[in-house]
Amino acid sequence: MGILSRATRNLARRKTRAVLVIAALSLALTMLIVLPPSIQARQDITRQAVDYFVEINDYVTSTVTLSATEIQCSYPVGFDPEIVFSGKDVWFTQPLMNDTIYSQVLSIPDIINVIPLLRVLGTPDRPYAITGVPLDNASYQMDRTILPTNITAGRNLEVGDKGVVVLDLWTAQMIINPNIRAWLSDTGELVLNETTIEKLTAMVGGTITIEGHEFTVVGLAGESLTTGGAIMSLADAWEITNTTGQAWQYRIFADDINNVNTITARIQSIDPKLEVTSGVSQQNIAEPLKNQITTLTQTAQNNLNQIQGIGLMEIGIAVVAATAIILFLMLYSVRERTKEIGTLKAMGAGNGTILGQFMTEGVLLSLIAAVIAIALSVFVLPLLASLLLPAPVAFGPSIGPVSMSNQTLILYPDGVYFGDDPNFIPGQESNIIAASITPQILLMGLGAALLLGALGTLYPALKAARTKPAEAMRYE
Amino acid sequence: MNDCVLKIENLTKTYKLGKRNVQPLTNLDLEIGKGEFTAIMGPSGSGKTTLLNIIGCIDKATSGTVLLDGVDIAKMPESKLYKIRRDKIGFVFQNFNLLPYLNARENVELAMELAGKFKGQRKQRALELLGTVGLSGREQHRPQRLSQGEQQRVAIARALANDPAIILADEPTGNLDVTNKQEIVKLLSDLNQKQGTTIIMVTHDEQVAAQTHRMLILKDGKVAEHNQAKNKLPAASKGDFE
Ligand SMILES: Nc1ncnc2c1ncn2[C@@H]1O[C@H](COP(=O)(O)OP(=O)(O)OP(=O)(O)O)[C@@H](O)[C@H]1O
Ligand SMILES: [Mg+2]
Repeated sequence: MGILSRATRNLARRKTRAVLVIAALSLALTMLIVLPPSIQARQDITRQAVDYFVEINDYVTSTVTLSATEIQCSYPVGFDPEIVFSGKDVWFTQPLMNDTIYSQVLSIPDIINVIPLLRVLGTPDRPYAITGVPLDNASYQMDRTILPTNITAGRNLEVGDKGVVVLDLWTAQMIINPNIRAWLSDTGELVLNETTIEKLTAMVGGTITIEGHEFTVVGLAGESLTTGGAIMSLADAWEITNTTGQAWQYRIFADDINNVNTITARIQSIDPKLEVTSGVSQQNIAEPLKNQITTLTQTAQNNLNQIQGIGLMEIGIAVVAATAIILFLMLYSVRERTKEIGTLKAMGAGNGTILGQFMTEGVLLSLIAAVIAIALSVFVLPLLASLLLPAPVAFGPSIGPVSMSNQTLILYPDGVYFGDDPNFIPGQESNIIAASITPQILLMGLGAALLLGALGTLYPALKAARTKPAEAMRYE
Repeated sequence: MNDCVLKIENLTKTYKLGKRNVQPLTNLDLEIGKGEFTAIMGPSGSGKTTLLNIIGCIDKATSGTVLLDGVDIAKMPESKLYKIRRDKIGFVFQNFNLLPYLNARENVELAMELAGKFKGQRKQRALELLGTVGLSGREQHRPQRLSQGEQQRVAIARALANDPAIILADEPTGNLDVTNKQEIVKLLSDLNQKQGTTIIMVTHDEQVAAQTHRMLILKDGKVAEHNQAKNKLPAASKGDFE
């Protein structure tokens, strides 16, 4: 007949009451077990969404490539079905702007510099483009991206260079072995093994013939946005391709940001077919998208704050409720059993024994409730979480999809999609926030029950222990 | 039998009830010898229960000395008193006060468990004691399945569990019918005669009191010896035995 079996029998004395109390206590403890992982899951999905927003923001920012005062103009790349290459590949045409357009552009006021760039696309005999770049200090100071920016071997082109060429890796590869057109990875990047790299590097310092002219290869360059193929001085390129005075692109610099729109309009009026972009126009496209993303981030953050606030409040309520349930039950029980406590004391039970007896009862009660709560929480987690917590904003269709040029952002309950397929549907979509009950959480629930049980019982048990036996015996 | 188990000198007990003071015991002196069977009588509210509670260490004296087995319990702190209650006192109450969720044997055993006796030893002695009070075969019954007389027998067995120096019985027959009353008094009397148990019993019943060696009257805060030969209470005894 130990203290534990006495505690069990005492609880069993009032069965209905014990059942009701355990039921109420289990509910409070279930809340305690379910809330933390659910808040965590919502936190995770919001973090994930915010991370993607940051990614998109970076992407949008990177689309603004021109400085505010820079304007670029060129004819769009054309498509000529007559030009068929290698039996299946079609070749594109690159219309060039002539020197009449150049002088018209130069005559526009408020322009401080115009840099002409030449690109002559490849032909069946020459499967790579030729790029001509003006090699003067003024142009290079104005825009360093006219030259290759990532030299992998040898040196870059320099001011005053003549009869020399920098090849991009793709071009160098095709010059060595024209039959093997490209080694591309899944993502479209050039794949080179070490021996190939060695062979390509060996080209530096040697000579190659382009359109009947001999050039010294001074360097190799990685891929770049604006330049490519065989890169040489504008003068050399004009000469060997018979295009003197022409250009595929002008880079035009305004003296002031306030004149950019006027200049852009004037260039456009030279020929409506010209494609004219400016730093200002790029920013005008990017700005609303960035604002939208900022709003989304804030919405997600506010939602998370709300979820955390409500969740913490409910945890607080559950803690107070669980403690209060035990406190009042045990207080009532102590009062009801005053005479019994008096008898025990008269029999020689010390204060510690009485304290231990009631503490055991209270903690036993909360442990029984904890076991039920643990079993319950495994089943009711998603339901209870959706009842107790506000839905995460990433959950609803209200903010997705967001479209941005050809990229689409879709928010799903179990993740975020950011890509170029607007109809993308993830495979295993569910409406359940992926919160799971881990052994740690169960252990914590058990610990919490133990703690709250002890906390709630402490005062009643102390009260019982301090009962004066003589008075208790008179109590009816 | 002149060996003294209990020696009370100058005992006063005052209860404070707001502004009013109640003083059921005033400069009371009393000696109880080992093996004595004493009855205490007196009008309701005269302080019989108060006196028994102080002897039993569940209430504190306001002043005076109470020597139990040679130890002054009047000034002892609660941290030591519970051990005296456990080892030296056996209580028998008018309402039996058995624990309803324990059966007869467990009720008796609990007293020994509190005293730290081993399980095997406890069970053995509980069965013996229940045999002594005539309850063999009823050991597994819970209080609600026992008659009132049987419940009081369990209470007596429980009081005897730790071999106390003194049994304090507060109106042990107060709730019993005539037959049970006589049986319980006979049981107490037998225990006293055969095992030399020292018993102090409070009672309102003269016939019950008549079965003891010594009858005391508690009145005006003091005890007086009553002449048993008369077998009748004096109407207004103001006797002072000092
Ligand atoms: N805790 C207390 N506080 C205040 N007064 C008390 C307390 N306990 C007892 N009394 C008072 O002390 C007096 C003696 O009470 P006690 O219970 O000892 O009488 P009693 O002789 O046992 O009476 P009865 O025969 O009715 O049982 C009574 O007047 C009672 O009201
Ligand atoms: Mg009384």
